[in-house]
Amino acid sequence: MDEEFKEFADGRPAVPPYPPEARFRAREALMREARRGRGLRLPRFGWQAVAAFGMTVTLVGGVAVALSGQNGQSPVAGSSVTRAAAQFFPELRPRPGQFILIESDTMYASFQAGEDGEESRHLYRTHRKIYRSVDGSADGLLYIEGRPPEPWPGRELPAVAHDWKGSGWNRLASCPGRMGDQRDDYAYLSGLDAAALRALIRRDAPPGKADAAQQAFDAAAELVRESYLPRAQREALFQEIKAIPGVTEADGVADSAGRRGVALGLPASDGTLRQLIFDRGTYSLLGERATVVDARAAEAPEGSLLAHTAQLNVTVVDRLPEVDSPDGDDSCEGPAESASPAPTETAAPAEDAPTEDVPTETAAPAEDFPAAEPTPIPSESRPEVPAEDFPVDESASPTPAGPMPTPTG
Amino acid sequence: MVGVQEVSEALDDSALIGRSRDDPESFAALFDRHADEIHRYAARRLGPELAEDVTGEVFLVAFRRRARYDPAWPDARPWLYGIATRVVAQHRRAERRRNHALAKVSPERPGTFDERSADRVTAEQLQPRLAKALTALSAAERDLLLLVAWADLTYEEAALALGVPVGTVRSRLHRLRAKVRRALGGNDPFAAEEPRHG
Repeated sequence: MDEEFKEFADGRPAVPPYPPEARFRAREALMREARRGRGLRLPRFGWQAVAAFGMTVTLVGGVAVALSGQNGQSPVAGSSVTRAAAQFFPELRPRPGQFILIESDTMYASFQAGEDGEESRHLYRTHRKIYRSVDGSADGLLYIEGRPPEPWPGRELPAVAHDWKGSGWNRLASCPGRMGDQRDDYAYLSGLDAAALRALIRRDAPPGKADAAQQAFDAAAELVRESYLPRAQREALFQEIKAIPGVTEADGVADSAGRRGVALGLPASDGTLRQLIFDRGTYSLLGERATVVDARAAEAPEGSLLAHTAQLNVTVVDRLPEVDSPDGDDSCEGPAESASPAPTETAAPAEDAPTEDVPTETAAPAEDFPAAEPTPIPSESRPEVPAEDFPVDESASPTPAGPMPTPTG
Repeated sequence: MVGVQEVSEALDDSALIGRSRDDPESFAALFDRHADEIHRYAARRLGPELAEDVTGEVFLVAFRRRARYDPAWPDARPWLYGIATRVVAQHRRAERRRNHALAKVSPERPGTFDERSADRVTAEQLQPRLAKALTALSAAERDLLLLVAWADLTYEEAALALGVPVGTVRSRLHRLRAKVRRALGGNDPFAAEEPRHG
């Protein structure tokens, strides 16, 4: 089991044994049902209730977040502001077999509970380089370098904030052939139109709930963060995010590198307004921001920043850099999936990858790529959900329909 | 009719469930095998009181669905955990509705376990560090994480339990690992390892 999950496994709470009387009653009820074949009236369950609680809490996935420009305390600004976004984010033509490299600076909230249960908070900062396979066929790499932490607004910097220093490489397992419609590589996403992207960001959202907007917003953020897409998909995603109920648009919002763009923001339950900042001309993600709008919920002064990032560079490279024993990623391990095509295991990138980053501008026209690489979604059988046992909850209403942008390209 | 005792030792779950189609009472052997384990899981998720109701419901639902059991799976635990997950979710939903009503009287901090009493039970039993990490997850993510960590299901079994392709589970776990790592480590993206350089 992964180290991350093992800690939960080891920490599973002790619980009292099944009381014999209760156990006996339950067994008797079952036997009555068995003798009768049918009968007992049970509460009815909504199958999708499982997904209905996707409420987003606090800091999501390292990420996220964003904030509005009107507060003006962006710590940044600099000569880089004058550079056009196109300089940071040229149109690329990634080809299968290549890797997309994105460099970013991040600042996110860290919540830590000490041995005594005392919580400490601070803002941790990193510089990241992420290499992802263009077509998901090979493992990627992630480099993370610690940068000096910042105190939580209004508090002192805790000692624990200095615990982590240095840098390191992580292998990112790609699980080729196993991702199905969970694929998020360039080749797959570049073949989706606006409707498909919209379905993608809303598929895990509980219908008709306030949480649905947050879920869709987070799902969309996952797609645009540390990601490169063709312009048509970038613009489509921008429009889809804008169409999420509750999302507001703000101009002139700065990322952590001081570049200003148009921000799409949604207030989160952690008391912040989370914003994704885009370049107006190219729809490239500049960065994210989380600004406190509810001081009580956030436990930080209104207007203070709890997250701020900038995506600095996007390039295409032919191969991964040579790295000594990156930390592993065994998320592809486990029994092979019986229902789908045999997974293709790829070699770990570190050992056989020659040398340095080799940024390469490729010559193929961008339009060629999606057509040349249709990348069908492996069909996997989903267990049938019998309606009579798990009817749709009556309180659930359909996903709100928003305007459907037309993909351009 | 074959007695439950005779059935229970010899057959695997799949065969047992198959037999119960013609001999409904033999399904009790499945209860005898797995009720304690399902109860344990429910108690960890919802607390001891609700766990009693949940366990009974899980087996009644399972009994009614037995004709649709996939006989390719000799072990019924993933199937039972899948049903348990949905029953737990149903209770969580009920709890949450009540909580929202209560919140108008006594607003609680958003974005924490305090908002959801059912989950708070889980939180109270956990080390603060783990409870805190759980708050960073959606309910669906918690379901998946706890099926893996507490029910000891493999990825394939978790996929079966949640009714999604195993590729979906892998993908979710991939993200989940990163989230958990951040939530547990906070400023340590490299989990428990010591710094590699400087």
